Amino acid sequence: MRRTAGGDRRAFDELYRRTSPWLAVRLRRRCADDDVVADVLQETYLAVWRAAGSFAGTAATGSAVGWLWTIAANRLVDAFRRRARQAKVPPVPLAATVAPAAEDEVMAGRVGQELEQALLVLPAELRQVLRAMVLDGFSVRETSLLLGVPEGTVKSRARRARIALREALS
Amino acid sequence: MMRTVSAAETAPTTHPWAVHAEGLRVRAGRHLAVDGLDLALGTGVHGLLGPNGAGKTTLMRALATVVKPADGRLTLLGQPVDGRADLRRVRRALGYLPQQFGFYPRFTVREFVEYLAWLKEMPKTAIPGAVQRAIDRVGLTAKADARMKTLSGGMLRRAGIAQAIVNDPEVLLLDEPTVGLDPEQRLDFRTLLRELGADSCVLVSTHLVEDVVVACTDVVMINGGRLVYQGTPDGLMAQGEPGDAGDSPAERGYSALLRRYRAEQGR
Amino acid sequence: MTTHPSLSVLARYADGGPGLDEAAVWSVEVHLETCADCRARLAGSTPDSTHALLGRVAAELDRGIAAGPSPSRVRRPWSAVHRRWFAWALLPWLTMTVALLGCALLLQRLAPSLPPLVLLLAPVAPLPGVAVAWSRRTDPAWELIAGTPAAGLTMLLRRTAAVLAVLVPVLALVGARTGASAALMLLPCLSCTAAAVALGGRIGVRNAAIGIAVVWASAVVVPTLVTTNLPVVLLPGSIPAWALATVALVAFAATRADDYRRLSSRR
Repeated sequence: MRRTAGGDRRAFDELYRRTSPWLAVRLRRRCADDDVVADVLQETYLAVWRAAGSFAGTAATGSAVGWLWTIAANRLVDAFRRRARQAKVPPVPLAATVAPAAEDEVMAGRVGQELEQALLVLPAELRQVLRAMVLDGFSVRETSLLLGVPEGTVKSRARRARIALREALS
Repeated sequence: MMRTVSAAETAPTTHPWAVHAEGLRVRAGRHLAVDGLDLALGTGVHGLLGPNGAGKTTLMRALATVVKPADGRLTLLGQPVDGRADLRRVRRALGYLPQQFGFYPRFTVREFVEYLAWLKEMPKTAIPGAVQRAIDRVGLTAKADARMKTLSGGMLRRAGIAQAIVNDPEVLLLDEPTVGLDPEQRLDFRTLLRELGADSCVLVSTHLVEDVVVACTDVVMINGGRLVYQGTPDGLMAQGEPGDAGDSPAERGYSALLRRYRAEQGR
Repeated sequence: MTTHPSLSVLARYADGGPGLDEAAVWSVEVHLETCADCRARLAGSTPDSTHALLGRVAAELDRGIAAGPSPSRVRRPWSAVHRRWFAWALLPWLTMTVALLGCALLLQRLAPSLPPLVLLLAPVAPLPGVAVAWSRRTDPAWELIAGTPAAGLTMLLRRTAAVLAVLVPVLALVGARTGASAALMLLPCLSCTAAAVALGGRIGVRNAAIGIAVVWASAVVVPTLVTTNLPVVLLPGSIPAWALATVALVAFAATRADDYRRLSSRR
């Protein structure tokens, strides 16, 4: 990041090459409209380029790219805000419940067997809220914008999800 | 990374209004600028109208917790802010742009917004991203690293708006934000206002009746420190009669309300 | 999260389709945030549509970068200090204080019969700095700062600490030169500073600083100059009393945090 801050275009391109596939895939799983995803990606990397000095100082360390996801997530929320006003909310793909395939059982390093069983039992809309708040780091307000549901609904779903998980895990 | 969601965050919202004032009285010097005001504001963009000396700036300052009310009750986001209250939590969700907005000439725009973000106690790792986002939203990207003393009046106002929105506030108070903006910039600003009003409570104080009618979902009119009218822009326009002063339905409505209020007060 | 997902899992994740159940998706996403190798492997498995998307974005990026401003520089921590308004506002007062102390030192050397001017001057030395630290007139962004969570006693203390950090070494140096005891130089200085902070909440820091300076001048300095006798408060025997006073005033100042929560309409 330091080199990017110094205006080194190759360092920035390297960053793009290494992180954009991951970011694109993750964003596409949150928003089914490719134009929106393209806008968000572009804004994210432009922001990284322009504010490179500040990021080099505080956020970007090592190979963890959570900070990059935070920027992209914020831009995604802004994109939804802009389009919500025009009543053209981009669709968010709902993950269907699929039974885990046999070979996946072998894959270690998963979230935790009980947790994953508990997750699979939850209804889809509760999982959606959980994913937005816990995994993606959105606040209640942002989640309500993204999913197109009122804030009160987001909060009640989060509470129900927490109760259901606690029951499933105990 | 997975983040923990606290129970407080998902607790049901108990406050019906983001801003709730009952019988509010606020002094400006010796003069009681806000005198018995009742106000309830929810999500959306609210326009604050009124003649000079009506108490708009003082009301904004009281809502921004800059000045302590002399009397009455004021609740922001469910927390009482009159008397001896802990203001830090409320202030973190607040954004304020004062009318006379002072700045440090030697700072660049980015440094200025970062300094205010730090003062608003935002988490340190989130600050660079939030600052860039605020600067992009107000359209100052090209000038992000220019010193503030080199900016024109309109750009300075936009920098002020950027610092107000950097912490994504739930209550945003803008006192005359369109002063010095040219018509194109005012259009951009209206778009920004509508975006912001989607999920937060925005109060915009302005002299320009047209700005209010176009961008706001709700109009609040005060005079002499009291509430004169609160309703939709259409409602404001419906108040006007053909004989009233003004070149547009909104201006006629505004004059009509003032006239009737003054007649009631016997002035 | 020490083991990595297999290539087929990554391919199904990259697909974006429902081929992977939710829990697996979660694990993969949490893992990818920290593992650069797996991100690289993911890059190899992305479908063509994603590649096309990335190509489009790269082209747009090129255009955006060419059109826009260059990246902001990495800021070194020490360069921030020289840009802070506070340093610039403070500089004239500090130079004046240091110059006065220097003159007092010189006079004492030249005319040993005079009472120790340095001792007389030391307690009021930091007061101009403290007055500037929390004053509506000198801080242009005053109203902005007053509405932030960080505004309050801690901010004033931080700025006062900056003032003391400069002055205490100077005072110690000057004291050593004249042979006066360090405690006698520093303790009254700290007491007066604490008093200014404690009173400042009620009557304004600037007024408190001026008031204390005037009281000190009339009660101690003038009689000393007239009678050329060392006053009681500056005798070495009074050091314990000063120590006690310092502790008491500091404790009192700490309790006055509430006063600094907001501006009163008068100041």
